[in-house]
Amino acid sequence: MINLNCKIETPKNIDELLKLLAVENFNSKILAGGTDLIVGKIQGSKRFVDTELLIDINKIEELHKIDLIDDKIIIGASTTFSEIENNKIINEHLPLLKKAVSKIGSLQIRNRATIAGNFVNNAPCADSVPPLLVYNAELELISFGNKRTISLENFLEAPYKTQLQKSELVSKIIIPVPDKNIIGDFYKLGRRRAVAISRITLAVLCRIENNSFDDIRIASGAVTPIGKRFYEIENFTREKRINNDLLINLSQMLGEEILKITGLRWSSAYKLPVVQQMFYQLLNNIVIKK
Amino acid sequence: MNKEFSVIGKSVIREDAFDKVTGKAKFADDYKFDEMLYAKMIRIKATHAKINSIDFSEIENQKDIYVITANDVKGKNLVGLIKHDQPIFCNEKVVTPGDVIAMIVGEDEDKLEHLAKKVKVNFTPLPTLTDPTKALDPDSVLIHPEEKSNLIIHHPLRKGDIEKGFSESDEILEQTYTTQLIEHAYIEPESVIAIPKEDGIKIIGSIQNPFTTRRIVSLATDLPLEKIEVIQAQLGGSFGGKDDTMCILSARAAVASLKTNKPIKIKYTREESILESYKRHPYILNYKVGYTKDGKIKAMKIDILADGGAYCSMSPFVTWRTVVQATGPYEIENVHTDVRAVYTNNPYTGAMRGFGSPQPIFAQESLMDEIAIRLGITPDEIRRINGYKNGSVTATGQKLQNHDVNILTVLNKAVALTNFSNKWKEYKKEKSVLNEYEFEKPILKKNKFIDPKKLYQKGIGLAVSFRGCSLGAEGLDETYCYMSIEKNGLVKMLTGLAENGQGLRTTLIITAAETLGIIPDKIQFLETNTSLIKDSGPTVASRGTIMGTGSVKNAAEILKERLIKIVKKGFHLDDNDVIDFRENLVFSRKKGLLTNFDFVCQLALEQKENLTAIGYYKSPEVHWNEHNGQGDAYFTYVYGCQVAEVTVNIGTGEVFLNKITAVHDPGTVINRLGALGQIFGGVTQGAGYGIFEEITHEDGMIRELNFDQYLIPTAKDIDEIKPYFVEGNDIYGGYGAKSLGEPTLELTAAAIANAIRNATGKRFFNLPINLEELVLGKKIRPQNLNRGSL
Repeated sequence: MINLNCKIETPKNIDELLKLLAVENFNSKILAGGTDLIVGKIQGSKRFVDTELLIDINKIEELHKIDLIDDKIIIGASTTFSEIENNKIINEHLPLLKKAVSKIGSLQIRNRATIAGNFVNNAPCADSVPPLLVYNAELELISFGNKRTISLENFLEAPYKTQLQKSELVSKIIIPVPDKNIIGDFYKLGRRRAVAISRITLAVLCRIENNSFDDIRIASGAVTPIGKRFYEIENFTREKRINNDLLINLSQMLGEEILKITGLRWSSAYKLPVVQQMFYQLLNNIVIKK
Repeated sequence: MNKEFSVIGKSVIREDAFDKVTGKAKFADDYKFDEMLYAKMIRIKATHAKINSIDFSEIENQKDIYVITANDVKGKNLVGLIKHDQPIFCNEKVVTPGDVIAMIVGEDEDKLEHLAKKVKVNFTPLPTLTDPTKALDPDSVLIHPEEKSNLIIHHPLRKGDIEKGFSESDEILEQTYTTQLIEHAYIEPESVIAIPKEDGIKIIGSIQNPFTTRRIVSLATDLPLEKIEVIQAQLGGSFGGKDDTMCILSARAAVASLKTNKPIKIKYTREESILESYKRHPYILNYKVGYTKDGKIKAMKIDILADGGAYCSMSPFVTWRTVVQATGPYEIENVHTDVRAVYTNNPYTGAMRGFGSPQPIFAQESLMDEIAIRLGITPDEIRRINGYKNGSVTATGQKLQNHDVNILTVLNKAVALTNFSNKWKEYKKEKSVLNEYEFEKPILKKNKFIDPKKLYQKGIGLAVSFRGCSLGAEGLDETYCYMSIEKNGLVKMLTGLAENGQGLRTTLIITAAETLGIIPDKIQFLETNTSLIKDSGPTVASRGTIMGTGSVKNAAEILKERLIKIVKKGFHLDDNDVIDFRENLVFSRKKGLLTNFDFVCQLALEQKENLTAIGYYKSPEVHWNEHNGQGDAYFTYVYGCQVAEVTVNIGTGEVFLNKITAVHDPGTVINRLGALGQIFGGVTQGAGYGIFEEITHEDGMIRELNFDQYLIPTAKDIDEIKPYFVEGNDIYGGYGAKSLGEPTLELTAAAIANAIRNATGKRFFNLPINLEELVLGKKIRPQNLNRGSL
């Protein structure tokens, strides 16, 4: 048996949950899938060492569903990767998210791990983050008597750090339904074909009109300290005519942007050339498919 | 040989399968006893250090907590399977980070975890030696100063005249290859319980070799062998890895149990397991090969250095197999080989599936392809020119006889199954298609971007090997089998060999069933317990089948002869009548069906016949001259050829394993299902060796202490494995069955490396060929061992 040295509470509804979170003198953490938290706790991670109370949200139905309301897709915080992978709404409107979550860990991990847990943990390699960033995902954060909305991009602060306050819970992810003519792709590089921590992730969404990029959104993971959008490249690209030189140029720009952020690290010798190379390949695939 | 069998060669479900898939099987950690205490190891964060003092004062007043140190070891504190150089508790110095200084023992594991931090060890760090190439320098740090040198062993081999061989060659090729440190990665970490008995001690554990464990526990406790009973729990994988480590853990548990008079359990976390357990040797292999324009190899000069790490362990035997097999299955007149193993402060290395063969096979099979490419012929042609035939003489001067020397048969079969030569020519690159990058200029020039149509490159490669069966000249090689038949026809059997998860019991049950003419369900295999049967040597060296079937068949034949007498007497048959036993029925050649097996066993009771027997099998004589490396090293050999078909992403360095075709001659296949399992498992493990796995360390401190960083292949990493058996004839073993476990693993990495060469036009000299190796031609890794997620 694993001894977590922690109290566990299992609230039945959001109200109970928020009251538990509001208790000031308890060092609490939300427990959903537990695929990061429990492992970290066992490994003695300093992030969880002071945690005295785990609040298990798995019994709260409202946090666990996917809806399409008007022009927004609402994903409950404790929806698992397997559920996202197999959901019709996601398949139809958010193919990059489906592709990203279907490559996470193993089937057993995907059956437990949740979407909110992925970005609340905010590992550099969180696979769902780049697609959520290009889909302009917003988060609803709730606490006792309060509610606020924040973009995922602003929510993510630094590796393993977010804007989430102690009394707060991510309740849902809100994603505007993308235009029908938006295309794109997600790319993941791992060291093996399953149960692989990402070395590089890339997500690109774009609209191509008259052989030029009408709109483009680019995000990466695992190559920068946290998942990141590249607005400068996006702005540069708009309305540019698509040809091989442009795709090469964009790939070089991505390399430069990443280099600016990370500097030359031990892993740069591999990751920098490869991220440019594979971004170029990804853009080619998207353009060819079109 | 007659290969018409009724059970042998069929697919038989393993006798332990149901228990294992339903969770009923009992592994070591499933055993619990009243008043059982747990033990927690005390280590320090040092690679090489002198221990000045150990301060237990902060925990001394704790109730029911015991401290166990070298002072509690009543027998010898220094033990080892070959050389006695490994302490059970390191009270003077540590020579590698896995070393254990002391243990604290108590009933609450969490509390022990907490108390362990309060033990204060005062130590002085010593200079470290982590580069094996510096181990023999005159001014090198000595790991074990009493040994006077860091040399563990040197195996020379001299055949013919090496200089004459080079002078007769048209071309000479010299290359250096390296292989990495490898973790066994058994699914079950080490676990053992020592239980005090009235007059001795009982050990239950995840133990590969119960008799070796008994010997080490006896050394440590000073108890005679007969007072130590070692029982093997169901084993969750071993791959050669649960030998030395489990002996020492058992000794520690036994010492603590004798001191406290309570059952003591030691169970390791994955991190402790990887930290302390021994690994597969990293090798540095230099080969100089002389050959003629016609592709005939005239001379091979080989210089190999193995990193033995902190302790001797099995290094002398591992490197001995290397010296015997280092040329590969090629007949070469002039061979000059030196294989050395040295001490360093690195994790120690010992037995692992392959045992000194995967390393030279990677080098020698890469070289054979390089020679073929230089001569403008295909890899299969160069091997046909030089490969062994019946009667060939090996590098050790041994004439290959008494079995089918099937190296070219397996090669030709694999080539035909895969359309090898045509594909190889089609995929072949005249020069490297890989980019070269400059670290200082990380933004790619336009010409470095890869045309999307050329991103994926296909390749095919092969590797062949010969392998000596069983222990060879390593030592005494014999096995025993006790067999009895109850009056209801139930057969009970027991051997001194151990079931290590490879399916040996089922293989031996099939052998007995075939001999006795009954179905396997009527045979029960008894637990492996050192107090019940004579030592049959360790279950290593792919010797379980060849040696085990020998003694089982012998026991069953003794009983069958008696059963025939009983039948003849009971049914009043002529002396010259022939009795057949088939599928539980008994036939007379003259009278046809007589009765069933069970009835004969009842007759035995009435006739007061003894239906118990002891089977014995001894290997034929082998010879070895350690001064010149000449002799009949092994009494027989097996042969294999594997073909890897890969797709390489030349942008990322990913290698996709599309298909591995594995053609093996293991002699007679006993259990088809078990044999297929060996191929699927061995190929997968070999693929991990080729492209994923590596234990790395920073000044001796291991980076990959769990499976988040030590990556082994998953089921998704190989698309298809195609096994094929060529069942060669042999006069040894039961029914001509030989070895398969290790041959399946030793070829895969070499075949993949050759396929990558075919796909990219570039030769890779250093395993594993991981992403960075492929893209950058080198390994890169962080110096900081801390992880962001913690």
